[in-house]
Amino acid sequence: MKQKTILKLKVKNPYIPSETKVLEFYRESPDNFTLTLEMKLKHDPGQFVQVSLPGIGECPISICSYSGEHLKLNVRQVGNMTNAMTRLKKGEKIWVRGPYGHGYPMKVLKGNNILMIGGGCGVAPLKGIIEYVEHNRDSYKDINLVFGFRSPNDILFQRESRDWTRKYKMVVSIDKDPHASDVAACYTGPVGFVTDILKKQTISPTNCVAFVCGPPIMMRYVIEILKGKGFHDDQIFISAERLMYCAIGKCCHCMIRGKFTCMDGPVFRYDEVKDFKND
Amino acid sequence: MNTLSLKKSQLKKFLSKVMQSHELIAPLKSDLVRFTKIEEPKQAGEIYLKENAFFPLKEYFFRKQEQIFAFDGNKITVNIEKPQKRVFFGVRKCDLNAIKHQDMVFLEKNVDPYYKAQRDEAVLIGYHCNEAPSIYCFCGSMNLQDYYDLMFYDRGKEFIIDIGTEKGSKFLSGFKDMVKTSEYKITENDKKIEGTDRLFKKDISGLYDNPGWQKGVDMCVSCGACTTLCPTCYCFETKDKKDIHDTSKSERIREWSSCQVKEFTTVASGHTFREKREERFKHRIFHQLEYFKEKNGIDLCVGCGRCITGCPTRIDFVDIINKM
Repeated sequence: MKQKTILKLKVKNPYIPSETKVLEFYRESPDNFTLTLEMKLKHDPGQFVQVSLPGIGECPISICSYSGEHLKLNVRQVGNMTNAMTRLKKGEKIWVRGPYGHGYPMKVLKGNNILMIGGGCGVAPLKGIIEYVEHNRDSYKDINLVFGFRSPNDILFQRESRDWTRKYKMVVSIDKDPHASDVAACYTGPVGFVTDILKKQTISPTNCVAFVCGPPIMMRYVIEILKGKGFHDDQIFISAERLMYCAIGKCCHCMIRGKFTCMDGPVFRYDEVKDFKND
Repeated sequence: MNTLSLKKSQLKKFLSKVMQSHELIAPLKSDLVRFTKIEEPKQAGEIYLKENAFFPLKEYFFRKQEQIFAFDGNKITVNIEKPQKRVFFGVRKCDLNAIKHQDMVFLEKNVDPYYKAQRDEAVLIGYHCNEAPSIYCFCGSMNLQDYYDLMFYDRGKEFIIDIGTEKGSKFLSGFKDMVKTSEYKITENDKKIEGTDRLFKKDISGLYDNPGWQKGVDMCVSCGACTTLCPTCYCFETKDKKDIHDTSKSERIREWSSCQVKEFTTVASGHTFREKREERFKHRIFHQLEYFKEKNGIDLCVGCGRCITGCPTRIDFVDIINKM
């Protein structure tokens, strides 16, 4: 048998993640946590990275921070990978490649008011924008945050949101009245879907853009309400979630009709994808 | 450019000589016609050119299953074996164009080193169909290009050879004793294949909501044979496999995957984006005939007809589109 030789690569291998370390594991809610990684990565708000644990797999996670110092990833425990990630401790290794995709076009949107509507862990990419805005506060006018979670226990980013309430107009709501189930009976905040909160607010669409991120059904109703308030399709930005493997426009799992979530998205201006319904 | 010629009686000698310096892969007929590695010179005389191979060449470049990296518990290493120098003989125009389209996917942006390794050392020798080798062929509708190192045209007692690339020309320089210069000029007429212009509607962009798809959807069983047999389909998935003897070690594997299978778009939370068979059925055809063109200016489909030949219920999407 002939000796097999290993090829020396002349091109960069786009599938190989680089090694980094966990700086902090912070539990946000019973099924959600934030990882802070020792990784300095230049990225736009709204972009994502591919996170690997060799032997388990790889999955796309949106970046929920904007800082030159480290990388924060907010993760909901739903699958093999994200459950395995809960075992990570400070100082342990994790592998990351990216950033990928198109984030929110923040430079183009300078001078506007920003309305951010997030549901559940859909708030994570929006957190990246809030941090971006903090770095560039003079470039944007009023910031209005409307976030919804299932129950008081599911409210994310409580560490950060105290600061946000001081600086911006912000409403955090929960879906159902917690007193009915007796869980977290001390909750005194607003109750109702983000759509209900949104309906009650007076929002002028003039010089305003809306960023919507959350479960598909929530996004659909939120967009309906926004359009009722006079928002045009090109004033609304959504962030899509799909199954993906390569993140570089090859594996095709993330296609929404002809668009690749990994390359053309994950952030889409609503008029680009509005005809695509559910596929 | 001038053409060359090779007497048909010398094909066996030609291929035997190829085998001295290269691995030769050519169509042989067994239960089916398949591209096979020719092990012995005597097999070179059995090469079967009457019909196209059932399976495309795809798996030789974009492997059915391959390792992306190995993990030893601490570090990631990439082990791409240096491939043999290979000659592919008897490749049809459709399959050559399919390789072109996969080259666009894997070699243009974010070069895929696994594909590149397999592709770099390959010499592609085409065999031009004189007539449609199957009733399902529709390459004549697909605006195919010349994409080969060498192309053999079957002309009576000899092959007329058209040189497509520098690589092909260099390769032939070793065969001066058999290959002679020829006066034959390849014309557009030579490049036409009779009976293959079967798809009459070239633009399907307005047909997404057409009720005509239902006929195909009703017959589809979501088996994924079409995508497996397709020479251009390039979807894949990756998975990690642990070493069962030492679970700290593992490897990441890449495999072909099929958009016709429901799980293709199922995310961790359990939600499937293309839940309905109709959506999946249309997705493949629209990717082939529209989405790829939007991005790359050319149809992905090459009109080989394998997805129809290999379909257990013989869904002829060309016919379906024509009837809309």
